[in-house]
Amino acid sequence: MQNNVLYIEDNPDNMMLVKRALEARGYRLLQAANGLKGVEVAESQEVDLILLDINLPDIDGYEVAHRLRTSPKTSLLHTPIIAITANALKGDAEKALAAGCDVYMSKPINIRELWARVEAFVPMP
Amino acid sequence: MKTIHPAGENMDTIKSMSQPLSYISRLECSGCGKEYSYNELHTFCPICQSPLLPIYDLKKVRQAVDREEISHRNKGMWRWSQLLPVLSVENQVFLGEGDTPLLALPQLGKELGLTRLFVKDESSNPTGSFKARGLSAAISKAKELGVKKVIIPTAGNAGGAMAAYAARAGLKAHIFMPKDTPYANIEESRMAGAEVILVNGLISDAAGMAGEKARAEGWFDVSTFKEPYRVEGKKVMGYELAESFGWKLPDVIIYPTGGGTGLVGMWKAFAELEELGWLENTKRPRMVSVQADGCAPVVRAFENNALFCDFWLNAHTLASGLRVPKSFADHLILQDIYDSRGTAVAVSDEAILEAQKQLASREGIFAAPEGAATLAALRKLIDTKWVQPDESIVLFNTGSGLKYLDPRNDSTISAEKK
Repeated sequence: MQNNVLYIEDNPDNMMLVKRALEARGYRLLQAANGLKGVEVAESQEVDLILLDINLPDIDGYEVAHRLRTSPKTSLLHTPIIAITANALKGDAEKALAAGCDVYMSKPINIRELWARVEAFVPMP
Repeated sequence: MKTIHPAGENMDTIKSMSQPLSYISRLECSGCGKEYSYNELHTFCPICQSPLLPIYDLKKVRQAVDREEISHRNKGMWRWSQLLPVLSVENQVFLGEGDTPLLALPQLGKELGLTRLFVKDESSNPTGSFKARGLSAAISKAKELGVKKVIIPTAGNAGGAMAAYAARAGLKAHIFMPKDTPYANIEESRMAGAEVILVNGLISDAAGMAGEKARAEGWFDVSTFKEPYRVEGKKVMGYELAESFGWKLPDVIIYPTGGGTGLVGMWKAFAELEELGWLENTKRPRMVSVQADGCAPVVRAFENNALFCDFWLNAHTLASGLRVPKSFADHLILQDIYDSRGTAVAVSDEAILEAQKQLASREGIFAAPEGAATLAALRKLIDTKWVQPDESIVLFNTGSGLKYLDPRNDSTISAEKK
């Protein structure tokens, strides 16, 4: 296990917040600013866990989760995915879990909770 | 005719004693401990995104303030002003909140085999619920910090309370509510001049929309724990309990939990009272969080010994105030339950309705379903012998059942109809 966490998120403030938080715990953060780039990074690099924003500028997070779970890179079928949304639409959580995400978190992202959620899947280095 | 502001009279007393109105010293992040100024407008911690909590110079309060003197001030939440965050009496937005009755429940106590059963009846607050306390504190501090327009997502009573206090303070109010929010909450909010948007979803959906509007248009978001002061109004329930019990604390507090501000606030109050040396003993109550079977994230997390709640899917219960799929302060709620050696209990809607009928028919209290849920939970705790017959037990009725009567349809929540 490489401790690589991929965060697919178009908001640079959220990206910076999570980067600081996870790197402080010894994780390496891979970044993707849209859904297609996120799928590409996940398929081309070793990824231990994926943080997935739902409201992305190209394909939405549900579609990203679907593509990851049906990827030719079969290991992605089991890679943990934590969905993170601003909670703006009814049923976000249900849809995220139905699309293949393992856990759902709402923004604002409480960093202590993020650490706990990530460590539950990928022990702190 | 002279209109007397009770807090104003108290202010005269405080001034004559050369005391500041408030001994607030800073805001502190409940997650990372970073400190912030109370003279600036804050939401939650930008570093770790946890709630901010006001901290007071309790050493100075202990030197300057006599608990018995507070007891002799005019009634209302603001008689505790030195332990509240507002610096100027002109900014205290007062509608009569606080000092709700602590009532014995002799008939129900006898039926249940309990000798010291009480209810703290919050229905006598302005706008008919405990939400008045938190919104009085939050709107007062927002006014003091120059806020002109406030926004809130709500499951019901918080919206009505915010609308009323915003009107009193001269602030614009915008409210997002689930479309099945009780009729009274919608109408009281509109009557107070608030702009009300009905959302096809839950409070979590309303929260997302309110947050987006706040960011886009500069409204100040007074969502539960996303600003630092609602909890301060709610904590006064803890002060009042201590005072009512002769500066001792009851053995058990049974509290309905949606966002959890009251539970966290009371636990904060008990810690402050202990540090002030105002308690006759330091034994804290065991805190019981009550939720509905159809939305019980705190109960599930407690049963799993977790530090955070999972988002509750498909939340449903007739107790609209309990339809909170995940509180922003879930870790504080859980920590306080653990620290108090408390527990968390889920009850069915049927049990809530039965308890509502019992409170009304045995004791004359037409409780909100959230409040009635505490009696339903107590029955479970008796069955499991988690409470003892001679313990002092306080149920919290958080609002009036009258607010849930709905002329729009036949789904009115009423013990009689059900």
